[in-house]
Amino acid sequence: MLDPRVWLLWAMTVLVTASSARNPLYAAVLLLVTMVVGTTCTVNGGRRAPLSPVHFAMIAIPLSALFNSLTGSSGDTVLFALPGWLPILGGPVTLEAIAFGAVNGLALTVIFSSFAIFNAVTPVRDLIKLTPRAFHDAGIVLSIALTFIPQTTGSLQRIREAQAVRGHRVRGLRDWLPIVMPLLMSGLERSMGLAEAMVARGYGAVSDDPQPLRSQGLLALGLLLLLGGWLAYLFGSAWRLPAIGIMLLGTLLIGSVLWSAGRSVSHTTYRPRRWSYGDGAVVLGCALALTLTLTQGEALYYSPYPRLTAPPFDPLIGVGLLGLVVPALVGKHREEETH
Amino acid sequence: MIQIDRLTYSYPDSTDRALSNVSLDIAEGEFVLVAGPSGSGKSTLLRCLNGLVPHFTGGTVSGSIIVAGHNPIVEGPQALSPVVGFVFQDPESQFVLDRVEDEIAFALENAAVDRTEMRLRVEEVLHLLDLASLRGRALDTLSGGEKQRVAIATALAFRPRVLALDEPTSQLDPQAAEDVLQALVRLNRDLSLTIILAEHRLERVLPYVDRMVYLSESGDDVLTGPPRRVLRQMNLTPPLVTLAKELNWDPLPLTVKEGRQMAMQSPIPDPKQRIRSGQSAEGRRKGTGARPQITVHNLQFAYNGASVLRGIDLEIGAGELVALMGRNGSGKTTLLKCIVGLLIPERGDITMRDSSLIGRPTAEICLDIGYLPQDPCDLLFADTVFDELKITLRNHDLSNNPPIKPSILMERLELGDVAHRYPRDLSAGQRQRVALGAVTVTRPQLLLLDEPTRGLDYPAKRKLVQLLREWQGQGTSILLVTHDVELVAQAADRVVLLSRGEIIADAAPEVLTASPLFSPQVARLFPGTGWLTADDALASLNGDGNQGPAAGVQRLQENRSTDGGDQ
Repeated sequence: MLDPRVWLLWAMTVLVTASSARNPLYAAVLLLVTMVVGTTCTVNGGRRAPLSPVHFAMIAIPLSALFNSLTGSSGDTVLFALPGWLPILGGPVTLEAIAFGAVNGLALTVIFSSFAIFNAVTPVRDLIKLTPRAFHDAGIVLSIALTFIPQTTGSLQRIREAQAVRGHRVRGLRDWLPIVMPLLMSGLERSMGLAEAMVARGYGAVSDDPQPLRSQGLLALGLLLLLGGWLAYLFGSAWRLPAIGIMLLGTLLIGSVLWSAGRSVSHTTYRPRRWSYGDGAVVLGCALALTLTLTQGEALYYSPYPRLTAPPFDPLIGVGLLGLVVPALVGKHREEETH
Repeated sequence: MIQIDRLTYSYPDSTDRALSNVSLDIAEGEFVLVAGPSGSGKSTLLRCLNGLVPHFTGGTVSGSIIVAGHNPIVEGPQALSPVVGFVFQDPESQFVLDRVEDEIAFALENAAVDRTEMRLRVEEVLHLLDLASLRGRALDTLSGGEKQRVAIATALAFRPRVLALDEPTSQLDPQAAEDVLQALVRLNRDLSLTIILAEHRLERVLPYVDRMVYLSESGDDVLTGPPRRVLRQMNLTPPLVTLAKELNWDPLPLTVKEGRQMAMQSPIPDPKQRIRSGQSAEGRRKGTGARPQITVHNLQFAYNGASVLRGIDLEIGAGELVALMGRNGSGKTTLLKCIVGLLIPERGDITMRDSSLIGRPTAEICLDIGYLPQDPCDLLFADTVFDELKITLRNHDLSNNPPIKPSILMERLELGDVAHRYPRDLSAGQRQRVALGAVTVTRPQLLLLDEPTRGLDYPAKRKLVQLLREWQGQGTSILLVTHDVELVAQAADRVVLLSRGEIIADAAPEVLTASPLFSPQVARLFPGTGWLTADDALASLNGDGNQGPAAGVQRLQENRSTDGGDQ
């Protein structure tokens, strides 16, 4: 199994790359990459996103194309025109605006897919581990919230069906009351049940050392320095260098207080993650894609304006983006080991 | 191990006592069954063992309780967690993480248990509960029985000396429940773990327990002792015990095997005997020759490409009660949802009075068909019981012309006294009846009930059966999905067995006797007689009805000897 930090790096890299890639061919390569990684690495029982990437694409691409075509009037190939008196929407609707909107929708689909994969492949326990030790309890709250989402979705479906068999029809906002009320009540009952179960299992029995007043003071000082440095950077062009220094100092102070607070958290780890060659390979793949994005950003970009033309494609860049497919090569075998 | 002395407890804002002067001594390694009707305080008593009551619930408590030298009332549940493991009714509601191994280790990580020790303990419980092969699995891919075994494993990770379980099998099918109980028996025998188990379905558990604690409804009468002694003093017992008590068998049998040994002394009657008696199970079944109320023809349904129902053909006559049985995942609920239009079948037809239901809106279908889903709480949201019924009428535009007055229906459902109470505050049995009222206030001609006896005690179940029989008598057809073989034996005219989306049997309830999975206790005790319930057996054994069952047995013995004895 890949390290959750590596999965996070991968998802962030896809996010950065897809945000730059407005060339539909490169965006398509990225979509292909996420599809391959998603098919190979996700297993049954992982947390599923409420929408599959295909469904998301079916909504995002046409909507984005529609929105862009109605709100933008650039482009030479005018398909038709909307009356000028229509605010915002009025004016020509061009093929180029539709194409640019559709590519935006494609990029959004790539980003959605990457985070859906991250969500599906990362066990809740690993998400808790991703949070800093000082925020261990906050991490647990987050994990509970994540496991509550599918349960609540299931409850919603059940309640809707139960109300439908009583002849209930949703026509207006008030008709949601018979659905929302039982949903809220069952959510509260489930929360109480979980709290009871956690207490019965000793959750909270080992209390963490309370943070001394000095630490709290240092944290407040760190935050003040960060805020002060930022304000100085924004408003005093002559003080930019010292302002950066103050922000760094504040950041260091906050970091050290959190590190110290993390050490006082009394928890052990059942199975700590060990860095593997697979993790290294994914990091290298991400580094390659990131380097390309930062150095060849212009090549990844494509504008259909003023007239739609075939987008260029550099095979070397295409191959470079394939660095993001590494999880499919090294992640599959590890996932299967758990079954 | 556990000493309880005059323990009395009341919930906050309640004047009634949930527990009243309970005194108990439980030795180390005992397997104790806590029984009693709903609301008798079984769960409360269990929660006192680890301090959840009163630390989590509040309320007032008096008396004392000592568990392995600890006082839960003083120390609280967190301090007691290494001593008392606790397993709740619904395994899913107690999981924090999403994978088997992670979930078991979660509590140990939070307790800062050393890593080497932690790995040893996780490995230990994985093997004890036979979960090693499932260690990496996502929890939502497990079956109900597997989930409950994971919940037990998480409770055992601290190596507690006491394991308290609050109706752990109430949501499981018979086979999954048996797996969980076998795991508990292993733990009790191999580790001398003290087990305190609250359960409604006594017949499942009685063979394994050393001791029984019976809490009466008022909470002020506690019977405790060996199961046979306590069962003698209880009114509501499993069919086997009820029969044995009527026949004055001593000692009382707790298993069918023991029952058969007792019956050997009063020989098992010849199957011909039931014909003579004329009061067997068949005698009280209704005929099925009536015109079908509903017809399902060649129904097929698939979910995400996976076939769930295949070629279902089914007819239910007017006034007929059909039980639909099968293991979890066999497609029972899916079939009900297809009938009321919540799911659209791929192929096939469902007709009611020659009119197809396919494509019609659920709300319209449910004017004629009442559907009670598994969890009654999904239906309930109004402020009072009375309002719940009125809302259904309003949904169907029947407020001014109700087919039955809500007040009359509530009386029939024995809800008159609680008409103005908040439905979710009622007992499980009452909630079930409120939900039943909410879906039947339109006087549907067909009722679909999905696991209506889950979590109900014997009295609540008996009331439900009486009600269903009354409706049947008025011509209402009923399709009942259940795992409860005793309920089927009592109420059904016909049984349909579903397996992997296909009907594998559709016959009179006597077909149950062919399968040990779906066979009621009495049928196993008297194979070949066609008797399914204690009433069947008693009625037949009682023959002329005025000499008592013991005389009936005596008569059977005489019949046997005059027939030449063919056993």
